[in-house]
Amino acid sequence: MVDKTIMCPNCKNNLTIQGQPGEKIYITCPKCDTKGKFTFPGKTSYETTDDSYALKIEGLTKTFNGFKAVDNISFSVKKGEIFGFLGPNGAGKTTTIKSILGLLHVDSGNIKINGYDIKKNEIEAKRSIGFLPERVAFYDNLTPIQTLNFFCELQGADKSIIRGLLNDVGLSDALDRKVGGFSKGMLQLLGIAQTMIGKTPVYILDEPMGGLDPRWVKVVRDRIINLNEQGATIMFSSHILSEVQTLCDKVVIINKGKIIAKDTVENLNKHLKIRPRLEITIPGLNGKIPEIIKKIDGIESIDIKNDVLFITCDSVARINIISEIKDKGFEVKDIKTIEPSLEEAFMKLIFKDDEVK
Amino acid sequence: MAIINLKSIYSVAKKEFMDNLRNKWIIAMMIIFLLLTILASYLAGGQAGGEDAFGGMEDTVVSLLSISTLLIPIIAIMLGYSTISGEAENGSLSIVLTYPVKRIEVLIGKLFGLGSVLIFSIVVGFGAGGLIIAATVGASEGLAYLSFIALTIMLGFMYLSLSICISSFCKKRVTSIAGGIVLFFWAMIYGMIIFGILLASGVSFEQFLTPGFAYPDWLFASVFFSPGDTYQMAVMQAFDVSQAFGFTMEIPEYMSLGLLVFAQFIWLTIPLILAYRFFKRRDI
Repeated sequence: MVDKTIMCPNCKNNLTIQGQPGEKIYITCPKCDTKGKFTFPGKTSYETTDDSYALKIEGLTKTFNGFKAVDNISFSVKKGEIFGFLGPNGAGKTTTIKSILGLLHVDSGNIKINGYDIKKNEIEAKRSIGFLPERVAFYDNLTPIQTLNFFCELQGADKSIIRGLLNDVGLSDALDRKVGGFSKGMLQLLGIAQTMIGKTPVYILDEPMGGLDPRWVKVVRDRIINLNEQGATIMFSSHILSEVQTLCDKVVIINKGKIIAKDTVENLNKHLKIRPRLEITIPGLNGKIPEIIKKIDGIESIDIKNDVLFITCDSVARINIISEIKDKGFEVKDIKTIEPSLEEAFMKLIFKDDEVK
Repeated sequence: MAIINLKSIYSVAKKEFMDNLRNKWIIAMMIIFLLLTILASYLAGGQAGGEDAFGGMEDTVVSLLSISTLLIPIIAIMLGYSTISGEAENGSLSIVLTYPVKRIEVLIGKLFGLGSVLIFSIVVGFGAGGLIIAATVGASEGLAYLSFIALTIMLGFMYLSLSICISSFCKKRVTSIAGGIVLFFWAMIYGMIIFGILLASGVSFEQFLTPGFAYPDWLFASVFFSPGDTYQMAVMQAFDVSQAFGFTMEIPEYMSLGLLVFAQFIWLTIPLILAYRFFKRRDI
């Protein structure tokens, strides 16, 4: 059994969870009821048969008027995974997603969705996905019900679930209103309802939380978890990193059209040597760092604010610090370990990438 | 893989019909069209009914013709100009195309759906006009009137097909608006160009206005290069009208109704084929 402390992305509450290495668990925050998912680091077996992939992208390149928006990208998403696709604005996230879906004509690359080639088996490939674009738009003069009716017909899906779906995304008061009068947030919610009509095995969501207020962000998160629990594979792009951190099994980070990192959230942090941060509260310090702590080996940085010490260090140093403090009789009020955030990993990677160029 | 799913085409067509029939601009144009046809039918037809001196049906058709030649292309262009460029720009097309449909099905669905809106407005407008004519002049030329309606629907589809073509070619909504405007004014610009060529070829303006002046054959042939002109010529052929807008014309033998309708089919299909080619290669 492994213990792990994680932070709720919604209310910043710390909670401790237990599990086996490689185990995937779904968590509900006891404070704010936000759902999350966590995969324990450790042995995860990755089979390599084509069947086990929901998405397989090989050598994808797309140029616009000579500009390489996406440059030779390859990655795959295993069935049942929640996959985070990260990058700053203009990195090529939307171009990659649109290429996967066959909306863009790529220069080169092989793309398989649920085992179907998007070019050779267009209809079957498209039947297996639910898609939410970055900019959601529908038809101004149709009501939400008429809109979803249309998509149900295209998908060959059951129309009886439409009202329930609209209710789930909070649009039940707007059933007879024209979509043309919807706010951006309402369009986004209708867009999310639209992705779910087909009960497809794969979902591709481009910035699904964009333009939503926190209440609905939670609803969307919960829907994603829900779909995943039912066995669906979800790929979503984001630049809201805390969202990715507690939802995704794996992340790919792209910058300037190229993949700069491809790993599990956990490994990514390790690989980048971003260490957990120790926060120790000792009353009476008043901005002075105790000399004995400074002498300990393996400390990367020490900072102090009033009575709180912020220390970044390796795990050996961590143990030494705690025992040293106790030995010297400091009255410790609180010790917290802050897990490295993906944001840090992300910024570090992008800066490193930009420097190289 | 060349199988086309009729259900998808029907769904797209139904969606386009429902969406556009509630578009306030389209509704406004349809009302103007309806009012003008009622007015024209009443004035031309009604008076003809009262006084035997007027030709009745023929005159009514000639006045309806000037209304439809102007308004039907406007409605068709309004329906079609942004159907692809606008939807690609706002993002709705990217959702549709990730459903199990082919681009050809979306295109054909759009043509039929938007075309149904056109048919609806033509049938309502000219239907109302036809009822007034039938009430005042009688329904003796009912069949000819039906072919007039059919030719007007054809006019609408030609412009629809051309505007869809513009829409699938233009990358942005704004450029397709410009394209739509050029398309609308083409009939006028084209008429002026032809007239200019005629004057340059040595025919004087006085000659042109002289009754009984024999127009050169190429002038008639030039009709084929303007969809609106093929429509007017075809309607005049269908009603055997040789005198309209103060001009008397000796129409050449080869200018048969069949040939004109054939030309119209070409005006309908070529832009559609081009539209499909542009659409298929387009990045959405």
